[in-house]
Amino acid sequence: MPQSLEARVDRVAPIPRLAAMFRRNETVLLLVLVALLVFFTIGSPTFMTTRNITNVLGQASIAMIAAVGLGMLVIAGEIDVSIGSLVGAVALPLVVIMNATGSLELGIISALVFALAIGAVNGYLSAYLGINSLIVTLGSMFVIRGGIYIYTGQKAIPDDLALESFYQIGNGRLLGMIPYPALVALAVFAVFSYMMGHRRFGRQLYAVGGDAEVARLAGYNVRQSKFIAFVLCSLFAGVSGILLSSRLGSAVHVSGLGFEFQVVAAVVLGGVSLAGGIGSLGGVALGVLILAFLSNGLGMLNLATEWQQVITGLIIIGAVGLDELRRRRG
Amino acid sequence: MTELSRSAPQVSPKLGWLTSQTQLVLLVTLFALCLLISLAAPQFYSVDNIIAILRQSSLVLIVAVGMTMLLIAAEVDLSVGASLAFAGVVAMDVTNKTSSVTLGVMAGILFGGGVGLINGLIVTKLRINSLIATIAMMMMLQGSVYLYSREAVQNKHLQPLFTWLSTGYVGPLPLPVVVTAVLFAIGYVVLRHTTLGRYVYAVGANEKAARLSGIRPARIKMLVFIVTGLLTGLVGVILCSLMNAGQPTAGRGFELTVVAAVILGGTSLTGGRGTLLGTLLGVLILKVIDNGIIILRWDQDLQMVIPGFIIVIASYLDLLRKKSNAS
Repeated sequence: MPQSLEARVDRVAPIPRLAAMFRRNETVLLLVLVALLVFFTIGSPTFMTTRNITNVLGQASIAMIAAVGLGMLVIAGEIDVSIGSLVGAVALPLVVIMNATGSLELGIISALVFALAIGAVNGYLSAYLGINSLIVTLGSMFVIRGGIYIYTGQKAIPDDLALESFYQIGNGRLLGMIPYPALVALAVFAVFSYMMGHRRFGRQLYAVGGDAEVARLAGYNVRQSKFIAFVLCSLFAGVSGILLSSRLGSAVHVSGLGFEFQVVAAVVLGGVSLAGGIGSLGGVALGVLILAFLSNGLGMLNLATEWQQVITGLIIIGAVGLDELRRRRG
Repeated sequence: MTELSRSAPQVSPKLGWLTSQTQLVLLVTLFALCLLISLAAPQFYSVDNIIAILRQSSLVLIVAVGMTMLLIAAEVDLSVGASLAFAGVVAMDVTNKTSSVTLGVMAGILFGGGVGLINGLIVTKLRINSLIATIAMMMMLQGSVYLYSREAVQNKHLQPLFTWLSTGYVGPLPLPVVVTAVLFAIGYVVLRHTTLGRYVYAVGANEKAARLSGIRPARIKMLVFIVTGLLTGLVGVILCSLMNAGQPTAGRGFELTVVAAVILGGTSLTGGRGTLLGTLLGVLILKVIDNGIIILRWDQDLQMVIPGFIIVIASYLDLLRKKSNAS
């Protein structure tokens, strides 16, 4: 090895040395977000209204919850592309149990247990058996989606009881203003942003993703940390799936198709490196918001949804390319 | 430099024992599958059915030839599904407008090549991770194909020559199968018996070492992206001919099937390791399973579930073998 262990440890130690860079990265993203907001406010009179903004926040929060989980997993040096299938799959235990028992709570609990189980399987295969996580989760993506199709016969399962509480969790608003999903997203983001930035939990994930061997020598349990990141990622995708299912009012077999790509895009746009060890949840949150406002604003300018996809793709390439350039200079 | 010495043997395309054993396992799996399916359903061994399997395999295999080279060079392209749909639409549209099948086919193939070129430029010049760059490209293509055409472009002049591309026969074999065999043979020789092929392995195994020995990794990667793009364009044209229309929604999820087949064939995601023979076996195994599910009248959605399990099990076995080999 050309570098001494000390030099590698020094390179890995993330928080103090790289802090300035993260801040810069987040500043750039914040400026992009503000520029987008100004642009759309000028372009469309109905954009900057309380109704529209809270609407976008409600929609963005479903991606946000999953993105916090995936962001932590990517920082820990792994990836999960099965979250789209999982978002669709948790709706099955949720709606089926709810229909059978009439209890929303039991439905939510079984959906979360299902998500935890999937996360544990993904985590065990990747972290403990050492199979590449892209392969593992590509496999579970197929298996879960196929399982949904087989179970439902490719039909949506309606919420037979039309429970008011089930409708409320995805569509209700606190004081008629703030959508409940946005509250959930805010809470998840605040807690885990703090954990990642200021607690051993976060330091461990950064260390493990930055250089697994150094992290092991420093006394961190690499496998366990990665396993926990997998389980949390699936759990949060499960929460997103529950909220989405409430918005759709049923378990829809195609729900969550392509969701994993959106979330990966937001995480990478937020400055998290796919190589692991670099990035912050603040950046991830900005990445989610930029993509959400972009899609909403372009819709308000009466641009076809197809244009939104094209522009989103361009922005991802532009932002990641710029970030890469800055890192090489810096 | 333990890094270098560890990957040095992998640079050689003659991977010898290790890979031949991977292929042996795959071959045995393939035979076992054929045996089991034919025991349950004797019509499996009809000429029609075998030709059907080959025809279905050929579309995946053409793109998989490029994708294998990309993965060996430590890159990936997830835009192939979206690109082949667009290439088909372009091919049909140009054929309709010029009444020339040749021009249409060329346009489709070149469109794919163009997408590959852009992917290559984004990855090598902007140095964006190819996973994210090609996901972005997939989004852009899926959006813009609808801007190009709202609905499927039909074969307006009802050109029989265009349909012949997919339904024609050369002797007893369908034309797409023959085309695939030729392309596969070329890819096999290039990857295994030429300097260029050796460079692809070298770049994927250790880019830095490759650069220090005088190879230009960016050029090799560009080339492989373009080749994959051209092959994708060709498959777009064939698929379009098969449906006799350019469908903007064709090819959804195709990229995952191709990647699954290549990985199943023993090509490493981290680059530097893999063979086209393995990919051939990977494609055949997946397509025999698909075919078996239909013949046995099982739930067709198992066509997603079973390959999912197989990819994970195959890579675990590969991992175990590497471990026992290292110790």
